[in-house]
Amino acid sequence: MARRLALWAVLAALPGLSGAAAGAGALRFEEIGGAAGARIHHHTHKFSGKHADVLGMFTAGGASSAAADFDNDGDLDLFVVDSDAGKPHHLLRNDLVPSGKLAFNDVAAAAGVTGGNDPKSIVADALWLDADNDGHRDLLLARFGTPLLFRNQANGTFEDVSASSGLDKFGNSIAAIAFDYDNDGRLDLVLGNYFPPVNLIDLPTPHVLPDNLDDAKNGGGVTLWRNVTAPGTGKIRFSEVTEKAGLSRHTGWTLDAGHADFDNDGDQDLYLAGDYGTDRLFFNNGDGTFRDATKEAIGLDTKKGMNVDVADYDRDGWLDVYVTNITDEYMKECNMLWHNNGDGTFTDLSKETGTCNTLWGWAAKFADFDNDGWEDLFAANGLRSASRENYIPVLVEMIIRPGVDFTDVNSWPAIGDMSWSGYQKKKLFKNLGDQTFKEISAEARVDNDRDGRGVAVADFDNDGRLDFYQTNADQEALFYRNISEGTGHWIELHLVGTKSNRDAIGARVTVRAGIQTWIREVNGGNGYASQSATRLHFGLGAAGKVDSIEIRWPSGLKEKVSAPLDRITTVQEGKGT
Amino acid sequence: MRRIALLALTVLVWCIPCFADNTAVAALQRLEAAVAADPENLRAASDYRMAVIQAGAYDRSLEFFEKLVAAHPQAANAWLNFGYAYVDKIPAAGSITQVILANNALTQFSKSIEIRKSWLALFTRGNSYLYWPKVFGRAPLGVADLEEAVAIARKEEKKKGVYARSFIALGDGYWKTDQLDKAKAVWQEGLQLFPGDPQLQARLARADRAEELETYINEQLDPNKRVDTNLLPLVEAD
Repeated sequence: MARRLALWAVLAALPGLSGAAAGAGALRFEEIGGAAGARIHHHTHKFSGKHADVLGMFTAGGASSAAADFDNDGDLDLFVVDSDAGKPHHLLRNDLVPSGKLAFNDVAAAAGVTGGNDPKSIVADALWLDADNDGHRDLLLARFGTPLLFRNQANGTFEDVSASSGLDKFGNSIAAIAFDYDNDGRLDLVLGNYFPPVNLIDLPTPHVLPDNLDDAKNGGGVTLWRNVTAPGTGKIRFSEVTEKAGLSRHTGWTLDAGHADFDNDGDQDLYLAGDYGTDRLFFNNGDGTFRDATKEAIGLDTKKGMNVDVADYDRDGWLDVYVTNITDEYMKECNMLWHNNGDGTFTDLSKETGTCNTLWGWAAKFADFDNDGWEDLFAANGLRSASRENYIPVLVEMIIRPGVDFTDVNSWPAIGDMSWSGYQKKKLFKNLGDQTFKEISAEARVDNDRDGRGVAVADFDNDGRLDFYQTNADQEALFYRNISEGTGHWIELHLVGTKSNRDAIGARVTVRAGIQTWIREVNGGNGYASQSATRLHFGLGAAGKVDSIEIRWPSGLKEKVSAPLDRITTVQEGKGT
Repeated sequence: MRRIALLALTVLVWCIPCFADNTAVAALQRLEAAVAADPENLRAASDYRMAVIQAGAYDRSLEFFEKLVAAHPQAANAWLNFGYAYVDKIPAAGSITQVILANNALTQFSKSIEIRKSWLALFTRGNSYLYWPKVFGRAPLGVADLEEAVAIARKEEKKKGVYARSFIALGDGYWKTDQLDKAKAVWQEGLQLFPGDPQLQARLARADRAEELETYINEQLDPNKRVDTNLLPLVEAD
């Protein structure tokens, strides 16, 4: 570890390696949600009955969005979730005009994907994945209920195949990711479940809340669904393998899940962010099972884990993890930036890097917004912005009451019109390339104070600068178009698997330019309540050319390809560019 | 023969943690016996809690003091140490459990004050209130206790060095309740009585630099940092 840091310090001192020397201009965004037709208002589920207030408070997390090119027209579309009963979702088709002006049209109704918020279910997350490898991305909706799966019929419409998909298990799912855990060429699913599996809309018992606020063990854990779709049949099938894979002993309140090859052994590992208790890290054994390495790798924690995003932020060749927690006047948990030590262990460097405090955290995404070669970090935050009255003193009176039963909905005081960690300014951290970040949200014009939830990052206008879409609970979403000037060169790779899963999720790309190296992996939904584009974007800073691009596909194939600067390049597995 | 020696060595190595565990348990038992024999003895109870911190045996300690105060309900110092036992566990707990432990500590400190209003008990409870974030509105309660503690300190002819702590804490309390002038005044008074006290000097040096002072005091009152609850310096100064 010390030797790696020392080497890094020497390399960082070389010209052209630090962010400051890369010649990147100032980061700037403009909010274009209204102008682009993407100003979508989210609604949390409104419960009825005497527990309405408390249950509403505990389920105010599901404002999410997912970015992908669902119609294969070369630009990235957005699916935006609503969560209240009967409220439709939005499928925002990107009708990018040649001038670069962004214009979205909501085609959800025509596509047949508005449903899911039925009287017994609440939609909480969305995920694009090509489940049947037919070249057209299908859509999964995670619900407080059973999941919904819509098969893309390649004609602008979707067929609800939930009933025949095998995804028939009730869960209070708030997170969904897709990756090929067994490298068989088909995308599997992990659903992160928050509450235990009881229907909150038709409450059978009031004892549904966490049994401990720092070490809860009565949550929904996760479920792992193996994709068993027979090739060429078009009939998508999943089979639950949670127990077989060694994930069933986790019974925490999962808020997010993230995957990556953390130990560089060629298969995908799994990180789970747990609210009210410890996160979990599982290494993939390569035989269809996982090993819980939490204790030795990261240690047990008592924080309120909200988000899992993955990047090699310090470019040492090992993928790191960023988890948001709660840091506010009344609770100072600090986030976790898990620096991957390369030996199966991680060290939290959030304080050292300046990324500890993002207030009441939700989604946080790494992205090289200024193409200077270093991945920056945008963090959404804020729980509930209402009146000036603060819920915290009221809540604490309950927490310190002797013998109080936290699991009982009746124990919790109503929040009414009070605020709780509301009106919080978002945080944008610029990676300075020296293992530290600088908070620049105000100057970049992204310091809004909405009740943020998800962040989907994508180059929506194909101009080589990464934009993002921020969803907000019970509020309108915000669309930030990147208008930074003087950004560095870039390449963007759209990988298409042939033997590997078609979305190439899990593929690792290593780019080299001179003595600089970058790694990225295609991920299937890392980051809370959002799915960013699967196209891999590399900011190159001052580098004027790329010396090599190597892809390690999930199938195991290693392939060298080339790609022109400042262009989006499609690469098919085994066929090069 | 060599196999027997190897076996003996293996058993020995395997059992080293057992010996260590047994030693720690035996030490705690010994210290518990000393406290039980003299529940008002601050030194014995403090020694016990320091051993508990080393062993991480917080729940054992809480159980012990719970039984001790049940058996000796008029032992003010036993209640005080019961409260400190909760404080000792705070850094090892999660953020919400910390709130519960801190509140439980206050309950035990209050019982001690009900029995006997000593400088130590008033300072302890008053200072504990200051660790609560402003939003909970407990700092004024801390100020009230600390004003009483400082009043006791002022009356004492022999100005024990430990009394400086009440001047420091009262100033912090005034600062937390937005009374900076009163904070400065009490820190200055403290420094006159206890010349060279580094904590009073540090506060006064930052008194006209609001941000620096805020950072400094917040660092001192960080609930995630272990508070020194060793009562020996206080006992020895007595």
